[in-house]
Amino acid sequence: MNVSMFALLIGIPLVSSPVVYLFGRLTSRAEVLNRQGWIVRALALLAVTATWWPFVNLWLEFQAGGKRLFTNVESIWIQLDGLTFLLAAMVLTLGTLAILFSGRYMAGEIGEEKYYAMLLAMIGLMIGLGCANDLFNLWVWFEAMAVSSYLLVAFYREQPGSLEAGMKYVVQSAVGSVLALLGVALVLAQTGTLDMDQIQLMVGTMKLNHLGLLAAGALFFIGFGVKVAMVPLHTWLPDAHSQAPSGISAMLSGVVIEAGLVAMLRALSTLTGFALSWGWLLLGFGALNMLYGNLLALQQVQVKRMLAFSSLSHIGYILMGLGIALVSGQAAGAQGASFHLFTHMLMKGLAFLAVGAAMYALFHEQGIHRPLVAHDLNGISTRYPWVALSLSIALLALGGLPPLAGFMSKWQIFVAGFQSGNGWLMGFVVFAALNSVLSLAYYAPLVNRMYRCVSATSVKKGSAAISWTLQLPLLLLALAVVVLGLFPSLMNWLTEPAGAALMSIFK
Amino acid sequence: MNLITLIVIVVACLLGVGLYGLLITRNLIKIVIVLQLLVKAVVLAFVAAGKVSGHPGIGESVAATVIVADTVVAAVALALAVQVRMRLGTLDIPKISSLRG
Repeated sequence: MNVSMFALLIGIPLVSSPVVYLFGRLTSRAEVLNRQGWIVRALALLAVTATWWPFVNLWLEFQAGGKRLFTNVESIWIQLDGLTFLLAAMVLTLGTLAILFSGRYMAGEIGEEKYYAMLLAMIGLMIGLGCANDLFNLWVWFEAMAVSSYLLVAFYREQPGSLEAGMKYVVQSAVGSVLALLGVALVLAQTGTLDMDQIQLMVGTMKLNHLGLLAAGALFFIGFGVKVAMVPLHTWLPDAHSQAPSGISAMLSGVVIEAGLVAMLRALSTLTGFALSWGWLLLGFGALNMLYGNLLALQQVQVKRMLAFSSLSHIGYILMGLGIALVSGQAAGAQGASFHLFTHMLMKGLAFLAVGAAMYALFHEQGIHRPLVAHDLNGISTRYPWVALSLSIALLALGGLPPLAGFMSKWQIFVAGFQSGNGWLMGFVVFAALNSVLSLAYYAPLVNRMYRCVSATSVKKGSAAISWTLQLPLLLLALAVVVLGLFPSLMNWLTEPAGAALMSIFK
Repeated sequence: MNLITLIVIVVACLLGVGLYGLLITRNLIKIVIVLQLLVKAVVLAFVAAGKVSGHPGIGESVAATVIVADTVVAAVALALAVQVRMRLGTLDIPKISSLRG
C-alpha cells in the first residue's frame, strides 16, 4: 500500500497551513498584509492545487484494485473508500475555487494570513475525516475540523453579528460533539474496541445489550446532527452562514455540513442491525428539514440568510435519499444522495460566491460592511452581467429547474423512491417534489429582480468592474452546473462507488 | 456498591448538572465552565468504559486525548468571549443577541 500518497493527501494542506501563516507574519509586520501579500495567496492556492496530485494517484490505484485502500500509522488504521473519495473530491473542488475567489475578496482584511491558514487546515481535516476507520479517530478529526470552522465564522471580529454567530456556533457544536463522544464511550463499554470493522463484527455476532447500542446510536444522531443541521438542531446555521466571509459561507454550506453527515453515517454504520430504524429516522428528519427550511427561507430579506435556510432544505433531500436507500436496501437512493451532495456543493458554492462577488462590488470596495438584502440585487444584470447570470443559474438549479444539475440529482433520488415500490417512500417523494415547487417561490423572485427591475441606488454607486479572479470561479462553477444538468452520467465515476460504499458499510 | 456503579452515578450527575446549567446560564464565561463539566463527565465515562470492557488502556488513552482536544475548544470559546466583552461591553447573552429568524 502506498503510504506516501496517503500522507500527502492529508499532509499537504495540513503542513502548508502553518507555513502560510508564518510566511504572512514574517513578511509583513502590520496587521494587514503589505505588497508581498500576493505570495501568501499564491502559496495557499499552490498548496490546495498540489493536493489534487495525490488524490488523482490514489483514485487510479482505487480504480485498478476496486477495493478499499488501507494504510496504518502504528496501530491506527485509515481507509479510503468511495465515500472518502466523494468527500475529498468535493472538498478539493470547492476549496480550490474558494481560495482563488478569496484572493481578491479578502485582500486587505485584518489577519488575512490566518484566514488562509485556517482554510487550508479545514480542507486537510475534512479529507482526514473521510479516511477515519476508528470511532475515536473520527471524532478527533471532526472536532478539529469544527475548531477551524469556529475561527473562520468569527473572522470579522470587529463586527458584533459575526461574534454572536461564532459564539452560538461554538456552544451548540461543542455540546453536540460531547454527546457524540458519549456515544463512542457507550460503544467502547460494550465492545471493548474502537475499530469500526471490528465493532461491526462484534455487534453482528455477539449478543450485546440492545438498549445500550440504541442509546449510542441516538447519541450519534443528536451529536453529529448538530453539525448536519437537522431541524431542530439547526439554529446555529443561518447565523454562521450569513455572518462568515463569503468564501467560508460557500465552504460551510457546500462541504462542512456534508462532512458532518459523513461522520454521522460512519458512526451509525458500526451499529449493524438497526439500519431500518436509521433509515426511517433519516426520512423523518429529511421531510422536516425540507419543509422548515423552505418556509423560513420564504421570510428572509437578507440574501445570504435565505441561502442558508435553503441549505437546510437541501440537506433534507440528501437525508431522504439516504433514508430511501436504507429502508429499501437498494443502492440507487444512496447514489442519488451522493450525486445531490456533489451538485449541492456546486450550486450552493456558486450561489454564495456570486453573492460574495456582488457584495464586494457594491459594498466592500466602498468600505461598507453590511448584509446584502434582496432589494440590492435590483437591476444588477445591467452593470455586472456575469455575476447576475451565474447567480441566476445557481438559484434556478437550486430550485430544481430542468435541465440544470439540481434537477438531475433530485430526479435520481425521486426515481429511487418510486423504484422501491414502497407506498410510504412514494409519499415522501411526492412531499419532496411539492417542496421543490415551494422553493421556487423564493428563488424565482430574485432572478426577476436581477433582470427586470430598475437598478437600485446601491447598484448605481457600485464599482465599475469586477476583477476576473472573482468572476473566474463563478463561471467555472456555472459551467459545471449546466454541463452536469445536461450530462448527469459524467459524475457516475464518483457517485457509483460512493453509493456502493454507503450500502456496504450498512450491510 | 462497586466502583463502576459509583462512577456511572457520578457521570450521570455531571451530565445532568451540565445540561441543566446550559439551559439556565446566561453568562458566556459560565457557559464555557458548564461545557467543561459536560466534557469531564465524558472523560470519566471513557475511563469507566475501558474498565468495563476489559481494555483499560484504550479508555485511558482516549480520555487523555479528549482532555487535550477539549482544552482547544475551551480556549477558542474563551477567546471569543473576550472579543465579545471588548466589542460589545457585556457577557450577558440576551443583551448580545441581535440576529433573528
